[in-house]
Amino acid sequence: MLLEVRLYSGLEKYVENAQYGKPIQVELPEGATVKQLLDKLGIPQEQVFSVLVNGTHYNCSDVMEDGDRVALFPPVGGG
Amino acid sequence: MSKFIRLDMTTQKVKIEEVPEKYRALGGRALTSQFVLDEVPATCHPLGPKNKLIIAPGLLSGTSAPSSGRLSIGGKSPLTGGIKEANAGGITSQKLASLGIKAIVIEGKPEKGTFIARVTADSVEIIPADDLAGKGTYELTAILKERYNEKAGVICIGPAGEMKMLSAGITNNDPEGNSSRYAGRGGLGAVMGSKGLKAIVVECDKTFDAPVKDKERFKTAARKFADILLKHPVCGEGLPKFGTNVLMNIINEAGTLPTRNFRTGRFDAAGEVSGEKLAEVAVARGGKATHACHPGCVMRCSNVYPMPDGKVCAPIEYETAWCFGPNLEISDLDVVAKLNYICNDVGLDTIEAGCTLGVLMEAGVIPFGDGQAAIKALEEVVKGTPLGRIIGAGAAVAGKVYGVTRVPAVKGQSIPAYDPRSCRGNGVTYATTPMGADHTAGYAVTANILKVGGYVDPNKDDGQIELSRNLQVATAAVDATGLCLFVAFAVLDNEEGLPTIVEMLNAQYGTELTVEDVTALGQQILKNEREFNAKAGFTKADDRLPEFFYEEELTPHKTKFALKEELDEVFNF
Repeated sequence: MLLEVRLYSGLEKYVENAQYGKPIQVELPEGATVKQLLDKLGIPQEQVFSVLVNGTHYNCSDVMEDGDRVALFPPVGGG
Repeated sequence: MSKFIRLDMTTQKVKIEEVPEKYRALGGRALTSQFVLDEVPATCHPLGPKNKLIIAPGLLSGTSAPSSGRLSIGGKSPLTGGIKEANAGGITSQKLASLGIKAIVIEGKPEKGTFIARVTADSVEIIPADDLAGKGTYELTAILKERYNEKAGVICIGPAGEMKMLSAGITNNDPEGNSSRYAGRGGLGAVMGSKGLKAIVVECDKTFDAPVKDKERFKTAARKFADILLKHPVCGEGLPKFGTNVLMNIINEAGTLPTRNFRTGRFDAAGEVSGEKLAEVAVARGGKATHACHPGCVMRCSNVYPMPDGKVCAPIEYETAWCFGPNLEISDLDVVAKLNYICNDVGLDTIEAGCTLGVLMEAGVIPFGDGQAAIKALEEVVKGTPLGRIIGAGAAVAGKVYGVTRVPAVKGQSIPAYDPRSCRGNGVTYATTPMGADHTAGYAVTANILKVGGYVDPNKDDGQIELSRNLQVATAAVDATGLCLFVAFAVLDNEEGLPTIVEMLNAQYGTELTVEDVTALGQQILKNEREFNAKAGFTKADDRLPEFFYEEELTPHKTKFALKEELDEVFNF
């Protein structure tokens, strides 16, 4: 399956040529979890604070689907 | 000794008095709201002589407690008609506390004229200053610092406040002299303007000189609190790196970024006005991606953004980047910075100004996405033209003038940067806080989006009432301490957080407060504010969101706001 992945706020540094917010296409086997995505991208799990899949919070063990929009964030806050 | 300073603007006489017994244990918002309830007739005209403005440092301001330099300003709001506490960073709170000043009260109204007040360790005087009338805040602050003391903190208003515009704010300066630290919301700048007071110059070279009873005990607690902040991922890493505008992308991804005057929840070009972009441009132009608005802040969430015209906008906050960016479909950070700078200089609340421009775009007065038209419109404010005055009067008034029904405001105050349909905890806060729509009054974005202090699904109703209630109580208490609200990120996740705040308070004042007392204080503040509003004529009907949030779906989550009668349960304590 193909995922549309966006990295933000410094996480892009783990992926060659990635820029924050610019979508990258990632191919993973059907039924892949968020953890598998992080492993494939080489992003340490402890650096990822929020995973939003189609705008909804996911945990590392959650399974994604083909075409999902995935956004990964380190700790962020403000107001 | 701790003192109350009363500036009687009718006679231009100063009275310095001992702090009344009733107010000795209060500070910040606890003090301003109690005082307004006690001394301001709830039905008075907000711009008349009976309204009073009270300026109070928080309880911990002027000590070595980290991030404790918040200044509270209270009065009856001309924008909402209810009670108002607006608070600001900047350097003045610590100076007032170091001078032993519990509060400055501004009362009465002169027949005519412009005045400033000068506060030093030895004296307080009201000085005629007609030469300063009409000055923008940046020039005014520079003049007053040069005239009196380069290290002074200057609390002031711009022309918008002098013209008594309903969304005029009161500002004070950061350590570099930028007059950009606003107690922005609710039009208190118009109240100051109505009293003929252009500025208060606070001269004090000390920053951390507020009296502390048990210095050693305090130092230990303050160090522990700094450690708690620095160890938290948001306070210690997220905020210092990109500032508040790091929120832009996550709120956008979460689908709750109000776009095109609250029509959709995502903006394709959000990244162009985000904290990441800001940091990139600011650093490339010799500015700063991180900056402290007052000495002793460990979170340093501010920034310094050099603009193409050579001026500097410091900071561009998330709320401002949102209201002039996605809210208007503007994706040019330089345009956002310019609009922000104009507001700072003329003396307007940015959130209100951004939402008002959104309403004008909705009305077709200027086109969505047209940055130059937005700048031109905002430049009308300083001229006091009819359009400028409509903009300065805020979104609710602009909506009435132009016959617009899609007006994002509660109790007359504009809704900030999280759509209540897909961040429902904030929706509850917007609807019910006595302040009018205010994200800081109960920042449910924490549990709804940021996964701080637990998790409550932002698109469901379950748990939102309780979440908002608990946050509103906790926030009121934090606003009394002078601590920046952002300490809440750490305090919500660390069970030692609140006890450490209590320990600092006890060490400073020789009290024996408990955590329960602090909760009770938060509840009392809210009760006072609700009592004032009830006396001013507010009812349950005022604790609701605008109709369109209940009627129109927000994409991408296809959500509507549904809570109505349930909102009346928020204050059941």
